[in-house]
Amino acid sequence: MIEVRDLVKVFHARGHVVRAVDGVTTRVEAGEVVVVVGPSGSGKSTFLRCLNGLESFDSGHVVIDGQDLADRKTDINRVRREVGMVFQQFNLFPHKTVLENLTLAQQVVRKRSQDEAEAKARALLAKVGIAEKESEYPSRLSGGQQQRVAIARALAMDPKVMLFDEPTSALDPEMVGEVLDVMKTLAREGMTMVVVTHEIGFAKEVADRGIFMDEGKIVESGPPGELFSNPQEARTQLFLSQVL
Amino acid sequence: MNARARTWPWYLLLAVILLGVAASLWGATQRIDYTWRWKRIPQYFVYRGEDVATVPADGRVEEVREAGDEAVVVFVDETGERHEFRVAAGTVRVSPGEDLFAGDPVGSTFAWRTGPLLNGLWTTLWLSFFSGILGLLLGLVAGLCRVAKNPTLRGLSVVYVEVIRGTPLLVQIFIFYFFLGTVLDLDRIVAGVLALAVFAGAYVAEIVRAGIQSIPRGQMEAARSLGMNVPQAMRHIILPQALKRTLPPLAGQFISLIKDSSLVSVIAITDLTKSGREVITSTFATFEIWFTVAAMYFVITGLLSQVIQWMERRLAVSD
Repeated sequence: MIEVRDLVKVFHARGHVVRAVDGVTTRVEAGEVVVVVGPSGSGKSTFLRCLNGLESFDSGHVVIDGQDLADRKTDINRVRREVGMVFQQFNLFPHKTVLENLTLAQQVVRKRSQDEAEAKARALLAKVGIAEKESEYPSRLSGGQQQRVAIARALAMDPKVMLFDEPTSALDPEMVGEVLDVMKTLAREGMTMVVVTHEIGFAKEVADRGIFMDEGKIVESGPPGELFSNPQEARTQLFLSQVL
Repeated sequence: MNARARTWPWYLLLAVILLGVAASLWGATQRIDYTWRWKRIPQYFVYRGEDVATVPADGRVEEVREAGDEAVVVFVDETGERHEFRVAAGTVRVSPGEDLFAGDPVGSTFAWRTGPLLNGLWTTLWLSFFSGILGLLLGLVAGLCRVAKNPTLRGLSVVYVEVIRGTPLLVQIFIFYFFLGTVLDLDRIVAGVLALAVFAGAYVAEIVRAGIQSIPRGQMEAARSLGMNVPQAMRHIILPQALKRTLPPLAGQFISLIKDSSLVSVIAITDLTKSGREVITSTFATFEIWFTVAAMYFVITGLLSQVIQWMERRLAVSD
Protein backbone atom coordinates (compact mmCIF):
# COMPACT_ATOMS: atom_id res chain seq x y z
CA MET A 1 0.00 0.00 0.00
CA ILE A 2 2.79 2.42 0.94
CA GLU A 3 6.34 1.95 -0.19
CA VAL A 4 9.09 4.32 0.92
CA ARG A 5 12.57 4.08 -0.61
CA ASP A 6 15.62 6.09 0.50
CA LEU A 7 13.50 9.06 1.54
CA VAL A 8 15.56 12.18 2.33
CA LYS A 9 14.22 15.51 3.54
CA VAL A 10 16.68 18.29 4.32
CA PHE A 11 15.83 21.53 6.14
CA HIS A 12 18.05 24.56 5.69
CA ALA A 13 17.77 26.53 8.87
CA ARG A 14 19.93 29.55 9.70
CA GLY A 15 23.00 28.40 7.85
CA HIS A 16 23.10 24.84 9.03
CA VAL A 17 21.55 21.85 7.38
CA VAL A 18 19.24 19.44 9.19
CA ARG A 19 18.63 16.04 7.64
CA ALA A 20 15.14 15.60 9.13
CA VAL A 21 14.51 12.36 7.24
CA ASP A 22 17.71 10.60 6.28
CA GLY A 23 17.40 7.63 3.98
CA VAL A 24 14.24 5.96 5.29
CA THR A 25 13.11 2.77 3.54
CA THR A 26 10.04 0.85 4.65
CA ARG A 27 6.77 -0.69 3.49
CA VAL A 28 3.27 -0.59 4.87
CA GLU A 29 0.99 -3.37 3.64
CA ALA A 30 -2.75 -2.96 3.17
CA GLY A 31 -4.52 -3.43 6.50
CA GLU A 32 -1.31 -3.05 8.47
CA VAL A 33 -1.07 -0.75 11.50
CA VAL A 34 2.39 0.78 11.87
CA VAL A 35 3.34 2.86 14.90
CA VAL A 36 6.28 5.27 14.65
CA VAL A 37 7.89 6.36 17.90
CA GLY A 38 10.98 8.39 18.66
CA PRO A 39 12.24 11.40 20.59
CA SER A 40 11.14 14.86 19.51
CA GLY A 41 13.16 16.10 16.57
CA SER A 42 13.74 12.58 15.34
CA GLY A 43 11.96 13.33 12.05
CA LYS A 44 8.98 11.06 12.62
CA SER A 45 6.39 13.79 11.98
CA THR A 46 8.28 15.02 8.92
CA PHE A 47 8.40 11.44 7.64
CA LEU A 48 4.63 11.14 8.10
CA ARG A 49 3.97 14.47 6.36
CA CYS A 50 6.06 13.31 3.39
CA LEU A 51 3.66 10.39 2.96
CA ASN A 52 0.84 12.66 1.74
CA GLY A 53 2.96 15.38 0.20
CA LEU A 54 2.38 18.02 2.87
CA GLU A 55 6.16 18.12 3.05
CA SER A 56 8.12 17.95 -0.17
CA PHE A 57 11.18 15.71 -0.03
CA ASP A 58 14.62 16.07 -1.56
CA SER A 59 15.25 12.59 -2.85
CA GLY A 60 13.87 9.07 -2.72
CA HIS A 61 10.44 7.70 -3.53
CA VAL A 62 7.10 7.51 -1.78
CA VAL A 63 4.73 5.21 -3.63
CA ILE A 64 1.13 5.27 -2.43
CA ASP A 65 -1.12 2.64 -3.99
CA GLY A 66 1.07 2.52 -7.08
CA GLN A 67 1.47 6.31 -7.46
CA ASP A 68 4.97 7.72 -6.93
CA LEU A 69 4.90 11.13 -5.26
CA ALA A 70 8.40 11.82 -6.64
CA ASP A 71 6.96 11.60 -10.16
CA ARG A 72 6.07 15.11 -11.33
CA LYS A 73 3.12 13.75 -13.31
CA THR A 74 1.41 12.43 -10.17
CA ASP A 75 -1.65 14.51 -9.25
CA ILE A 76 -1.01 15.11 -5.55
CA ASN A 77 -4.64 16.09 -4.90
CA ARG A 78 -5.78 12.76 -6.31
CA VAL A 79 -3.39 10.91 -3.99
CA ARG A 80 -4.42 12.93 -0.94
CA ARG A 81 -8.07 11.94 -1.39
CA GLU A 82 -7.01 8.38 -0.65
CA VAL A 83 -4.82 9.34 2.31
CA GLY A 84 -6.59 10.70 5.38
CA MET A 85 -4.62 12.70 7.91
CA VAL A 86 -5.26 13.53 11.55
CA PHE A 87 -3.24 16.35 13.10
CA GLN A 88 -1.94 16.98 16.58
CA GLN A 89 -3.80 20.31 16.70
CA PHE A 90 -7.03 18.87 15.15
CA ASN A 91 -7.15 21.70 12.56
CA LEU A 92 -10.93 21.66 12.33
CA PHE A 93 -12.42 24.48 10.30
CA PRO A 94 -13.62 26.91 13.00
CA HIS A 95 -16.09 28.75 10.75
CA LYS A 96 -17.98 25.58 9.87
CA THR A 97 -20.22 23.45 12.03
CA VAL A 98 -19.18 19.90 12.86
CA LEU A 99 -21.43 18.55 10.11
CA GLU A 100 -20.09 21.06 7.57
CA ASN A 101 -16.54 20.11 8.54
CA LEU A 102 -17.37 16.58 7.43
CA THR A 103 -19.38 17.39 4.31
CA LEU A 104 -17.31 20.19 2.76
CA ALA A 105 -14.51 18.14 1.20
CA GLN A 106 -16.94 15.38 0.22
CA GLN A 107 -18.90 17.89 -1.84
CA VAL A 108 -15.98 19.94 -3.15
CA VAL A 109 -13.52 17.13 -3.85
CA ARG A 110 -15.60 13.97 -4.20
CA LYS A 111 -18.49 15.88 -5.85
CA ARG A 112 -21.06 14.11 -3.70
CA SER A 113 -24.54 15.54 -3.35
CA GLN A 114 -25.39 17.31 -0.12
CA ASP A 115 -27.77 14.55 0.98
CA GLU A 116 -25.23 11.84 0.30
CA ALA A 117 -22.48 13.79 2.08
CA GLU A 118 -24.67 14.49 5.11
CA ALA A 119 -25.79 10.86 5.39
CA LYS A 120 -22.15 9.77 5.30
CA ALA A 121 -21.17 12.45 7.82
CA ARG A 122 -23.94 11.52 10.27
CA ALA A 123 -23.01 7.85 10.08
CA LEU A 124 -19.38 8.67 10.86
CA LEU A 125 -20.26 11.05 13.69
CA ALA A 126 -22.34 8.27 15.22
CA LYS A 127 -19.41 5.92 14.81
CA VAL A 128 -17.03 8.23 16.72
CA GLY A 129 -19.76 8.84 19.29
CA ILE A 130 -20.67 12.52 18.87
CA ALA A 131 -23.76 12.40 16.68
CA GLU A 132 -25.52 14.90 18.94
CA LYS A 133 -22.93 17.65 18.30
CA GLU A 134 -23.40 17.93 14.55
CA SER A 135 -24.66 21.51 14.55
CA GLU A 136 -22.13 22.85 17.08
CA TYR A 137 -19.09 24.88 16.10
CA PRO A 138 -15.72 23.22 16.86
CA SER A 139 -14.82 25.83 19.49
CA ARG A 140 -17.69 24.51 21.67
CA LEU A 141 -16.24 21.01 21.74
CA SER A 142 -13.65 19.52 24.10
CA GLY A 143 -10.26 18.53 22.71
CA GLY A 144 -11.16 14.86 22.62
CA GLN A 145 -14.41 15.58 20.81
CA GLN A 146 -12.61 17.82 18.32
CA GLN A 147 -10.06 15.12 17.56
CA ARG A 148 -12.82 12.57 17.04
CA VAL A 149 -14.51 14.97 14.61
CA ALA A 150 -11.15 15.35 12.84
CA ILE A 151 -10.88 11.57 12.49
CA ALA A 152 -14.44 11.40 11.16
CA ARG A 153 -13.66 14.24 8.74
CA ALA A 154 -10.72 12.30 7.31
CA LEU A 155 -12.77 9.08 7.13
CA ALA A 156 -15.56 10.84 5.24
CA MET A 157 -13.32 10.87 2.17
CA ASP A 158 -13.17 7.04 2.25
CA PRO A 159 -9.37 6.97 2.44
CA LYS A 160 -7.39 3.82 1.86
CA VAL A 161 -4.73 4.90 4.37
CA MET A 162 -4.98 6.97 7.54
CA LEU A 163 -2.03 8.95 8.88
CA PHE A 164 -2.05 10.10 12.51
CA ASP A 165 0.40 12.80 13.59
CA GLU A 166 0.58 12.60 17.41
CA PRO A 167 -3.22 12.61 17.65
CA THR A 168 -3.32 12.56 21.45
CA SER A 169 -0.39 14.85 22.31
CA ALA A 170 -2.49 18.03 22.58
CA LEU A 171 -5.21 16.40 24.67
CA ASP A 172 -5.89 16.52 28.38
CA PRO A 173 -5.06 13.11 29.88
CA GLU A 174 -8.68 12.16 30.56
CA MET A 175 -9.55 12.62 26.87
CA VAL A 176 -6.76 10.46 25.43
CA GLY A 177 -8.74 7.27 25.95
CA GLU A 178 -11.76 8.25 23.89
CA VAL A 179 -9.59 9.11 20.88
CA LEU A 180 -7.50 5.94 21.21
CA ASP A 181 -10.71 3.88 21.39
CA VAL A 182 -11.82 5.27 18.03
CA MET A 183 -8.40 4.48 16.56
CA LYS A 184 -8.48 0.93 17.95
CA THR A 185 -11.87 0.37 16.35
CA LEU A 186 -10.48 1.56 13.05
CA ALA A 187 -7.47 -0.72 13.35
CA ARG A 188 -9.69 -3.73 14.05
CA GLU A 189 -11.79 -2.92 11.00
CA GLY A 190 -8.69 -3.40 8.86
CA MET A 191 -7.81 0.22 8.07
CA THR A 192 -4.24 0.76 6.93
CA MET A 193 -2.76 3.14 9.50
CA VAL A 194 0.53 4.91 10.16
CA VAL A 195 0.52 6.41 13.62
CA VAL A 196 3.14 8.72 15.10
CA THR A 197 2.56 8.63 18.82
CA HIS A 198 4.02 8.46 22.31
CA GLU A 199 1.31 6.07 23.46
CA ILE A 200 3.38 2.91 23.90
CA GLY A 201 0.40 1.10 25.39
CA PHE A 202 -1.68 1.76 22.30
CA ALA A 203 1.22 0.64 20.12
CA LYS A 204 1.56 -2.66 21.98
CA GLU A 205 -2.16 -3.30 21.82
CA VAL A 206 -3.06 -2.62 18.20
CA ALA A 207 0.10 -2.18 16.12
CA ASP A 208 1.26 -4.87 13.72
CA ARG A 209 4.69 -3.30 13.61
CA GLY A 210 6.63 -0.65 15.50
CA ILE A 211 9.28 1.67 14.09
CA PHE A 212 11.73 3.55 16.27
CA MET A 213 13.24 6.62 14.60
CA ASP A 214 16.08 8.87 15.71
CA GLU A 215 17.95 11.59 13.85
CA GLY A 216 15.98 10.95 10.68
CA LYS A 217 16.81 7.26 10.48
CA ILE A 218 14.95 4.10 11.33
CA VAL A 219 16.95 2.72 14.24
CA GLU A 220 14.93 -0.41 14.80
CA SER A 221 11.67 -1.91 13.71
CA GLY A 222 9.73 -5.05 14.45
CA PRO A 223 6.64 -6.50 16.10
CA PRO A 224 5.59 -4.17 18.94
CA GLY A 225 5.84 -6.89 21.54
CA GLU A 226 9.55 -7.27 20.85
CA LEU A 227 10.39 -3.68 19.94
CA PHE A 228 8.88 -2.13 23.05
CA SER A 229 9.59 -4.92 25.54
CA ASN A 230 12.94 -6.18 24.39
CA PRO A 231 14.69 -3.60 22.19
CA GLN A 232 18.03 -4.54 20.67
CA GLU A 233 19.57 -1.11 20.10
CA ALA A 234 20.98 0.95 22.95
CA ARG A 235 19.30 4.12 21.63
CA THR A 236 15.87 2.44 21.69
CA GLN A 237 16.45 1.10 25.18
CA LEU A 238 17.39 4.58 26.43
CA PHE A 239 14.32 6.20 24.85
CA LEU A 240 11.92 3.58 26.17
CA SER A 241 13.39 3.79 29.65
CA GLN A 242 12.67 7.51 29.57
CA VAL A 243 9.07 7.36 28.34
CA LEU A 244 7.85 4.29 30.21
CA MET B 1 -6.16 49.54 46.88
CA ASN B 2 -9.77 50.37 46.23
CA ALA B 3 -10.77 48.60 43.04
CA ARG B 4 -13.55 51.10 42.40
CA ALA B 5 -11.34 54.16 42.43
CA ARG B 6 -13.12 57.46 42.00
CA THR B 7 -13.04 58.44 38.34
CA TRP B 8 -15.30 61.47 38.32
CA PRO B 9 -12.52 63.98 39.13
CA TRP B 10 -10.79 62.89 35.96
CA TYR B 11 -13.92 63.35 33.90
CA LEU B 12 -14.25 66.78 35.48
CA LEU B 13 -10.66 67.55 34.45
CA LEU B 14 -11.47 66.36 30.90
CA ALA B 15 -14.47 68.70 30.74
CA VAL B 16 -12.38 71.60 32.04
CA ILE B 17 -9.67 71.00 29.43
CA LEU B 18 -12.19 70.79 26.57
CA LEU B 19 -13.94 73.94 27.77
CA GLY B 20 -10.55 75.63 28.01
CA VAL B 21 -9.75 74.75 24.40
CA ALA B 22 -13.14 76.05 23.26
CA ALA B 23 -12.71 79.25 25.27
CA SER B 24 -9.24 79.94 23.87
CA LEU B 25 -10.54 79.41 20.32
CA TRP B 26 -13.33 81.86 21.05
CA GLY B 27 -10.88 84.31 22.60
CA ALA B 28 -8.58 84.07 19.59
CA THR B 29 -11.39 84.92 17.17
CA GLN B 30 -12.41 87.84 19.39
CA ARG B 31 -8.93 89.30 19.03
CA ILE B 32 -9.03 89.28 15.22
CA ASP B 33 -12.46 90.88 15.22
CA TYR B 34 -14.26 88.22 13.19
CA THR B 35 -18.01 88.43 12.83
CA TRP B 36 -19.60 85.03 13.06
CA ARG B 37 -22.57 84.58 10.74
CA TRP B 38 -23.85 81.11 11.48
CA LYS B 39 -27.32 82.11 10.26
CA ARG B 40 -26.06 82.11 6.70
CA ILE B 41 -25.04 78.47 6.78
CA PRO B 42 -28.37 76.51 6.77
CA GLN B 43 -29.41 77.86 3.35
CA TYR B 44 -26.45 76.03 1.85
CA PHE B 45 -27.88 72.72 3.05
CA VAL B 46 -31.46 73.23 1.86
CA TYR B 47 -33.25 76.26 0.60
CA ARG B 48 -36.56 77.19 -0.95
CA GLY B 49 -35.89 77.64 -4.63
CA GLU B 50 -38.05 79.99 -6.68
CA ASP B 51 -39.26 79.03 -10.17
CA VAL B 52 -40.61 81.84 -12.23
CA ALA B 53 -43.45 80.85 -14.58
CA THR B 54 -43.38 82.63 -17.93
CA VAL B 55 -45.86 82.77 -20.82
CA PRO B 56 -44.88 80.87 -23.98
CA ALA B 57 -46.30 83.32 -26.49
CA ASP B 58 -47.87 86.73 -26.86
CA GLY B 59 -51.45 87.05 -25.56
CA ARG B 60 -53.75 88.37 -22.88
CA VAL B 61 -54.49 87.47 -19.26
CA GLU B 62 -58.09 86.43 -19.04
CA GLU B 63 -58.56 85.69 -15.36
CA VAL B 64 -56.69 85.65 -12.02
CA ARG B 65 -58.31 83.77 -9.15
CA GLU B 66 -57.18 82.72 -5.70
CA ALA B 67 -57.38 79.04 -4.69
CA GLY B 68 -56.22 78.60 -1.09
CA ASP B 69 -52.52 79.43 -0.89
CA GLU B 70 -52.27 79.17 -4.65
CA ALA B 71 -53.32 81.51 -7.40
CA VAL B 72 -54.51 80.40 -10.84
CA VAL B 73 -53.71 82.62 -13.81
CA VAL B 74 -55.63 81.90 -17.02
CA PHE B 75 -53.85 83.14 -20.14
CA VAL B 76 -55.05 83.02 -23.75
CA ASP B 77 -52.45 83.37 -26.48
CA GLU B 78 -52.86 84.77 -29.99
CA THR B 79 -54.03 81.49 -31.46
CA GLY B 80 -56.79 81.32 -28.84
CA GLU B 81 -55.23 78.48 -26.85
CA ARG B 82 -55.84 78.61 -23.09
CA HIS B 83 -53.00 78.17 -20.59
CA GLU B 84 -53.44 77.81 -16.83
CA PHE B 85 -50.62 78.70 -14.46
CA ARG B 86 -50.68 77.66 -10.81
CA VAL B 87 -48.36 79.86 -8.78
CA ALA B 88 -47.91 80.74 -5.12
CA ALA B 89 -50.38 83.27 -3.79
CA GLY B 90 -48.87 86.73 -3.46
CA THR B 91 -46.40 86.24 -6.30
CA VAL B 92 -48.85 87.06 -9.11
CA ARG B 93 -47.36 89.84 -11.23
CA VAL B 94 -50.18 90.25 -13.73
CA SER B 95 -53.75 91.47 -13.64
CA PRO B 96 -56.78 90.42 -15.71
CA GLY B 97 -56.93 91.99 -19.15
CA GLU B 98 -53.18 92.70 -19.27
CA ASP B 99 -51.34 92.12 -22.55
CA LEU B 100 -48.20 89.96 -22.25
CA PHE B 101 -45.35 89.16 -24.57
CA ALA B 102 -43.65 85.78 -24.86
CA GLY B 103 -41.32 85.27 -21.89
CA ASP B 104 -43.05 87.68 -19.53
CA PRO B 105 -43.26 86.40 -15.91
CA VAL B 106 -46.66 85.45 -14.48
CA GLY B 107 -45.72 84.46 -10.93
CA SER B 108 -43.52 82.05 -9.00
CA THR B 109 -43.66 78.63 -7.42
CA PHE B 110 -41.44 77.54 -4.52
CA ALA B 111 -39.85 74.17 -3.78
CA TRP B 112 -37.27 72.84 -1.31
CA ARG B 113 -33.89 72.24 -2.92
CA THR B 114 -30.67 70.72 -1.62
CA GLY B 115 -27.87 73.22 -1.35
CA PRO B 116 -24.24 72.85 -2.38
CA LEU B 117 -23.13 71.40 0.96
CA LEU B 118 -25.58 68.47 0.75
CA ASN B 119 -24.85 67.97 -2.95
CA GLY B 120 -21.14 67.93 -2.17
CA LEU B 121 -21.69 65.45 0.65
CA TRP B 122 -23.60 63.18 -1.72
CA THR B 123 -20.77 63.38 -4.26
CA THR B 124 -18.24 62.54 -1.55
CA LEU B 125 -20.32 59.56 -0.45
CA TRP B 126 -20.79 57.92 -3.84
CA LEU B 127 -17.25 58.75 -4.88
CA SER B 128 -15.98 56.98 -1.75
CA PHE B 129 -18.43 54.11 -2.24
CA PHE B 130 -17.42 53.31 -5.80
CA SER B 131 -13.70 53.77 -5.24
CA GLY B 132 -14.08 51.68 -2.07
CA ILE B 133 -15.69 48.77 -3.93
CA LEU B 134 -13.13 49.00 -6.73
CA GLY B 135 -10.29 49.31 -4.22
CA LEU B 136 -11.58 46.26 -2.35
CA LEU B 137 -11.52 44.14 -5.52
CA LEU B 138 -8.08 45.45 -6.49
CA GLY B 139 -6.77 44.88 -2.99
CA LEU B 140 -8.19 41.36 -2.83
CA VAL B 141 -6.48 40.41 -6.08
CA ALA B 142 -3.22 42.12 -5.11
CA GLY B 143 -3.34 40.56 -1.63
CA LEU B 144 -3.86 37.08 -3.07
CA CYS B 145 -0.98 37.66 -5.51
CA ARG B 146 1.16 38.78 -2.57
CA VAL B 147 0.83 35.37 -0.87
CA ALA B 148 1.05 33.39 -4.12
CA LYS B 149 3.97 31.08 -4.79
CA ASN B 150 4.53 32.47 -8.30
CA PRO B 151 7.37 35.05 -8.16
CA THR B 152 5.91 37.12 -11.01
CA LEU B 153 2.56 37.61 -9.29
CA ARG B 154 4.27 38.28 -5.98
CA GLY B 155 6.63 40.78 -7.60
CA LEU B 156 3.82 42.64 -9.35
CA SER B 157 1.92 42.91 -6.09
CA VAL B 158 4.98 44.14 -4.16
CA VAL B 159 5.76 46.79 -6.79
CA TYR B 160 2.14 47.99 -6.84
CA VAL B 161 1.86 48.22 -3.06
CA GLU B 162 5.26 49.85 -2.56
CA VAL B 163 4.87 52.44 -5.35
CA ILE B 164 1.41 53.48 -4.21
CA ARG B 165 2.27 53.58 -0.53
CA GLY B 166 5.50 55.41 -1.25
CA THR B 167 3.96 58.35 -3.12
CA PRO B 168 1.50 61.01 -1.93
CA LEU B 169 -2.14 60.57 -2.87
CA LEU B 170 -2.31 64.16 -4.09
CA VAL B 171 0.45 63.48 -6.61
CA GLN B 172 -1.25 60.24 -7.67
CA ILE B 173 -4.48 62.14 -8.32
CA PHE B 174 -2.61 64.66 -10.48
CA ILE B 175 -0.96 61.84 -12.42
CA PHE B 176 -4.27 60.06 -12.94
CA TYR B 177 -5.98 63.22 -14.09
CA PHE B 178 -3.31 65.00 -16.10
CA PHE B 179 -1.32 62.03 -17.43
CA LEU B 180 -3.63 59.00 -17.60
CA GLY B 181 -6.67 61.22 -18.05
CA THR B 182 -5.09 62.82 -21.12
CA VAL B 183 -3.58 59.66 -22.56
CA LEU B 184 -6.68 57.52 -22.11
CA ASP B 185 -9.15 60.39 -22.48
CA LEU B 186 -10.74 59.86 -19.05
CA ASP B 187 -13.45 61.95 -17.52
CA ARG B 188 -12.35 63.76 -14.35
CA ILE B 189 -14.78 61.71 -12.26
CA VAL B 190 -13.39 58.45 -13.65
CA ALA B 191 -9.83 59.64 -13.04
CA GLY B 192 -10.73 60.62 -9.48
CA VAL B 193 -12.47 57.33 -8.68
CA LEU B 194 -9.59 55.34 -10.23
CA ALA B 195 -6.93 57.27 -8.31
CA LEU B 196 -8.75 56.72 -5.01
CA ALA B 197 -9.42 53.05 -5.82
CA VAL B 198 -5.81 52.32 -6.75
CA PHE B 199 -4.64 54.11 -3.60
CA ALA B 200 -7.08 52.25 -1.33
CA GLY B 201 -6.31 48.96 -3.12
CA ALA B 202 -2.67 49.07 -2.05
CA TYR B 203 -3.64 49.35 1.61
CA VAL B 204 -6.40 46.75 1.26
CA ALA B 205 -3.84 44.39 -0.30
CA GLU B 206 -1.69 44.62 2.83
CA ILE B 207 -4.74 44.07 5.04
CA VAL B 208 -5.77 41.02 3.00
CA ARG B 209 -2.22 39.64 3.07
CA ALA B 210 -2.06 40.05 6.84
CA GLY B 211 -5.48 38.42 7.17
CA ILE B 212 -4.51 35.39 5.12
CA GLN B 213 -1.21 35.00 6.92
CA SER B 214 -2.95 35.23 10.29
CA ILE B 215 -4.83 31.99 9.58
CA PRO B 216 -2.86 29.10 11.14
CA ARG B 217 -0.94 26.97 8.64
CA GLY B 218 -2.79 23.91 9.87
CA GLN B 219 -5.98 25.14 8.20
CA MET B 220 -4.40 25.04 4.76
CA GLU B 221 -2.73 21.70 5.56
CA ALA B 222 -6.01 20.18 6.73
CA ALA B 223 -7.77 21.39 3.58
CA ARG B 224 -4.98 20.09 1.33
CA SER B 225 -4.85 16.77 3.17
CA LEU B 226 -8.53 16.30 2.30
CA GLY B 227 -7.62 16.58 -1.38
CA MET B 228 -8.62 20.19 -2.01
CA ASN B 229 -6.43 22.17 -4.39
CA VAL B 230 -5.16 25.62 -3.44
CA PRO B 231 -8.02 27.64 -5.01
CA GLN B 232 -10.61 25.39 -3.34
CA ALA B 233 -8.88 25.68 0.03
CA MET B 234 -8.61 29.46 -0.36
CA ARG B 235 -12.25 29.82 -1.30
CA HIS B 236 -13.80 27.53 1.30
CA ILE B 237 -11.35 27.61 4.20
CA ILE B 238 -8.84 30.46 4.23
CA LEU B 239 -10.69 33.45 2.76
CA PRO B 240 -13.90 33.12 4.80
CA GLN B 241 -11.87 33.14 8.00
CA ALA B 242 -9.44 35.80 6.80
CA LEU B 243 -12.15 38.18 5.61
CA LYS B 244 -13.94 37.92 8.93
CA ARG B 245 -10.74 38.94 10.69
CA THR B 246 -9.99 41.74 8.25
CA LEU B 247 -13.43 43.31 8.39
CA PRO B 248 -12.51 45.86 11.12
CA PRO B 249 -9.29 47.08 9.44
CA LEU B 250 -11.04 47.11 6.06
CA ALA B 251 -13.78 49.28 7.46
CA GLY B 252 -11.14 51.56 8.97
CA GLN B 253 -9.55 51.83 5.55
CA PHE B 254 -12.91 52.82 4.12
CA ILE B 255 -13.24 55.58 6.71
CA SER B 256 -9.80 56.83 5.65
CA LEU B 257 -10.94 56.72 2.05
CA ILE B 258 -13.87 59.04 2.81
CA LYS B 259 -11.47 61.55 4.30
CA ASP B 260 -8.88 61.12 1.54
CA SER B 261 -11.57 61.69 -1.10
CA SER B 262 -11.45 65.38 -0.15
CA LEU B 263 -8.24 65.56 -2.21
CA VAL B 264 -10.11 65.01 -5.51
CA SER B 265 -11.39 68.57 -5.16
CA VAL B 266 -8.06 69.61 -6.71
CA ILE B 267 -9.17 68.19 -10.06
CA ALA B 268 -12.42 70.15 -9.87
CA ILE B 269 -14.73 67.38 -8.72
CA THR B 270 -17.39 69.12 -6.65
CA ASP B 271 -17.19 67.01 -3.53
CA LEU B 272 -17.91 68.25 -0.01
CA THR B 273 -14.59 70.06 0.31
CA LYS B 274 -14.87 71.84 -3.03
CA SER B 275 -18.51 72.74 -2.30
CA GLY B 276 -17.28 74.30 0.92
CA ARG B 277 -14.73 76.37 -0.98
CA GLU B 278 -17.39 77.49 -3.44
CA VAL B 279 -19.78 78.53 -0.68
CA ILE B 280 -16.99 80.55 0.93
CA THR B 281 -16.43 82.53 -2.25
CA SER B 282 -20.04 83.70 -2.12
CA THR B 283 -20.40 84.18 1.64
CA PHE B 284 -16.93 84.96 3.00
CA ALA B 285 -18.03 82.95 6.04
CA THR B 286 -14.70 81.09 5.95
CA PHE B 287 -14.57 79.92 9.56
CA GLU B 288 -18.18 78.78 9.75
CA ILE B 289 -18.04 76.81 6.50
CA TRP B 290 -14.83 74.97 7.30
CA PHE B 291 -16.11 74.06 10.77
CA THR B 292 -19.36 72.89 9.18
CA VAL B 293 -17.56 70.83 6.53
CA ALA B 294 -15.35 69.25 9.20
CA ALA B 295 -18.42 68.42 11.28
CA MET B 296 -20.10 66.81 8.26
CA TYR B 297 -17.09 64.58 7.60
CA PHE B 298 -16.96 63.77 11.32
CA VAL B 299 -20.63 62.76 11.43
CA ILE B 300 -20.22 60.42 8.44
CA THR B 301 -17.05 58.76 9.71
CA GLY B 302 -18.48 58.59 13.23
CA LEU B 303 -21.65 56.86 12.03
CA LEU B 304 -19.59 54.43 9.99
CA SER B 305 -17.34 53.51 12.90
CA GLN B 306 -20.43 52.91 15.05
CA VAL B 307 -21.71 50.51 12.40
CA ILE B 308 -18.34 48.76 12.38
CA GLN B 309 -18.31 48.38 16.16
CA TRP B 310 -21.76 46.86 15.93
CA MET B 311 -20.56 44.46 13.24
CA GLU B 312 -17.54 43.48 15.33
CA ARG B 313 -19.80 42.63 18.25
CA ARG B 314 -22.04 40.57 15.95
CA LEU B 315 -19.07 38.63 14.60
CA ALA B 316 -17.68 38.03 18.07
CA VAL B 317 -20.94 36.34 19.07
CA SER B 318 -20.60 33.68 16.35
CA ASP B 319 -17.09 32.74 17.49
